[in-house]
Amino acid sequence: MTMFYSRWHELIQILVVRNLKIRYKGSALGFFWSLLTPGLTILMYAVFAKILKFNGGQAHYLQFLVTGILVWQFTAGTLSDSLAAISGSSNLVKKVYFPRIILPVTTVFANGVNFLLTIVPLLLYLALTHTLVLTHALWLIPAVLFQLFLCVGIACFVATLNVYFRDMQHMVGIGQLAWFFLTPVFYDTAMQISAFPLPGVSPGLIFLNPMTGILAFYRRGFMGEALLPEACGLSPAWVWVSAAMCVVVFLLGLWTLRRGDRGFGDVL
Amino acid sequence: MKDTPETADWAIDVSHVTKRFRLTSSARSLKTAIVDCLSGRVAKTFTALDDVTFQVQRGETVGLIGHNGAGKSTLLSIIANTMAPTRGQVTVRGSVSSLLELGAGFHPDLTGRENVLLYGAIMGIPRETMRRRFDEIIEFSGLREFIDQPVRFYSSGMYVRLGFSVAVQVDPDILLVDEVLAVGDSEFQQKCLDKMKAFRRAGKSMLLISHDINTIRHVSDRIAYLSHGHLEGMGDPDELSRRYIEEMNRASGGGLTSEGIPARLAQKRRIWGTGEAVFSAVVWLGEDGSETAAPEHDCSDGKIRLRLHYHANERIENPVFGFSLTGFDDDHTVFGSNTQLAGRTIPVIEGDGAIDLFIDAGSVHPGDYALSFSLHSADHTRNFQRLENFLLLRLTRPANFEGTAALPFTWS
Repeated sequence: MTMFYSRWHELIQILVVRNLKIRYKGSALGFFWSLLTPGLTILMYAVFAKILKFNGGQAHYLQFLVTGILVWQFTAGTLSDSLAAISGSSNLVKKVYFPRIILPVTTVFANGVNFLLTIVPLLLYLALTHTLVLTHALWLIPAVLFQLFLCVGIACFVATLNVYFRDMQHMVGIGQLAWFFLTPVFYDTAMQISAFPLPGVSPGLIFLNPMTGILAFYRRGFMGEALLPEACGLSPAWVWVSAAMCVVVFLLGLWTLRRGDRGFGDVL
Repeated sequence: MKDTPETADWAIDVSHVTKRFRLTSSARSLKTAIVDCLSGRVAKTFTALDDVTFQVQRGETVGLIGHNGAGKSTLLSIIANTMAPTRGQVTVRGSVSSLLELGAGFHPDLTGRENVLLYGAIMGIPRETMRRRFDEIIEFSGLREFIDQPVRFYSSGMYVRLGFSVAVQVDPDILLVDEVLAVGDSEFQQKCLDKMKAFRRAGKSMLLISHDINTIRHVSDRIAYLSHGHLEGMGDPDELSRRYIEEMNRASGGGLTSEGIPARLAQKRRIWGTGEAVFSAVVWLGEDGSETAAPEHDCSDGKIRLRLHYHANERIENPVFGFSLTGFDDDHTVFGSNTQLAGRTIPVIEGDGAIDLFIDAGSVHPGDYALSFSLHSADHTRNFQRLENFLLLRLTRPANFEGTAALPFTWS
């Protein structure tokens, strides 16, 4: 791992910078878009929540929502960007050898940098509204760690499959929307548990969605929220199911890339 | 199973490599993939390489020749590890730098400078080292003014220049080059050849592909001749290039034989190209319409009549035929032109055909001249075939002036 890093970190760095440069190339506001886009998204949700008098069962709904959306956008951005991670770099892949995993990893890092940029205003906002609680900040470590596992897994999986099946881009679009609604971004886990549709099955299974647990980690880290609301009567240990799922997705992604790697030169 | 002695000092070991490509639709849609899988349909395959085995020794330069589609580029890609063999394996000792299909793996949106750093990073060269070599790279490529432009705006010639410069400057143990000599002007080609020679002196290994048989014959220690995915032979450059040229001529109708050519012409003759269309014969026309296929021709009145027979292996739109007349001994160009410059658009060629050329060289100083012919695409990016110094023309009409050509003049 350290050998891999020392051999390839310059390449990863160059590719991440390239990725970010291209993203904002030719746009007047450049990097500000990485702040503006989530800002405007949040504004829209806030307005609609106000109109619909929806508060997701939260006392600090807007803060809860903002945290959720920013974290979600890291995963969602990785998911949509990874479609082109390998197929969009065909002239590199066809002409010169390097470990292909670098391409999806680059996508994750580029989105990670974006995410970090949005964390700064998030902290400011939470602090100004007196909702920043950093006594549980250590929970941010598993939050970031498992989200990285998840994102690398997704990126490897999607980037590989998109080389072989161009249907992926359509499936990813609709899949991402479905995933968003299944994830407690604009509502909380308590609502999800109370609405759990399968009788006789533990509602803890909502944590099979890796993002459910990741959001719980982040919200605990930033706002001091409970991992699981006590009222719902479930053990907070369920969040580790999400963590395990992140690792499962990670391994699945690596395996897919390994299987697909041999054929890239043929189909690109 | 290796039939290589462990002691051999090889740099590249290609062992029983077979490569098959799927032909049908390459399963780009999930639906067809599922349907194929369920119906048990096996995709048609094309065998690009069939059980190819050879080694390149350390410090050796090997030229890879063969007709279009013989598997040369596929083989190079497999050695460069950008493509996996269906069977067999390739082992490489040392770092490999490659120029496949004219590109070193550039990203079109990045500038020349950024791409140099990118390539360096891929090759594992620290950025600082790469920065120090920067001047040399820019100097060699001759692209100083364009180095901060995105490479997408580069012409194919500029692209290759930068690609070759970088691929060489990362100082690899093994260099793989596909067709670098087909692009760029003769000055750059010479620079490339010099660089390759220096590379060779430094004890590094090279594997080269070129359609320019004459050049590759000179730079290679050994030649590997691929035909339809088989390794037809490997060894003496002269013998194998002769076999290849004969095979090419047979395939294209047998017009361009190399027999009975005076030695001094044979030395200068160079026949190369990508082969989509080839000359099947170039013959002298008599005034009565008779055709003479002699390589030499004496001409007393300077009226040159030629018929260029060609064979297009595929439908080619707007091809351009060209010719040039050069001094046989000093290579000085007397005159050159082509159908495009003359405003003669040829809509399409396909299959066999012929085009007549008349040149009035009456004003040219007597002496020995070489005639060259070319057949290339309208945008000059593809040389289908070039016959360089193909015919020897002897202009015999006595003249009483100095220089290359007689110009009309008056004293008063």
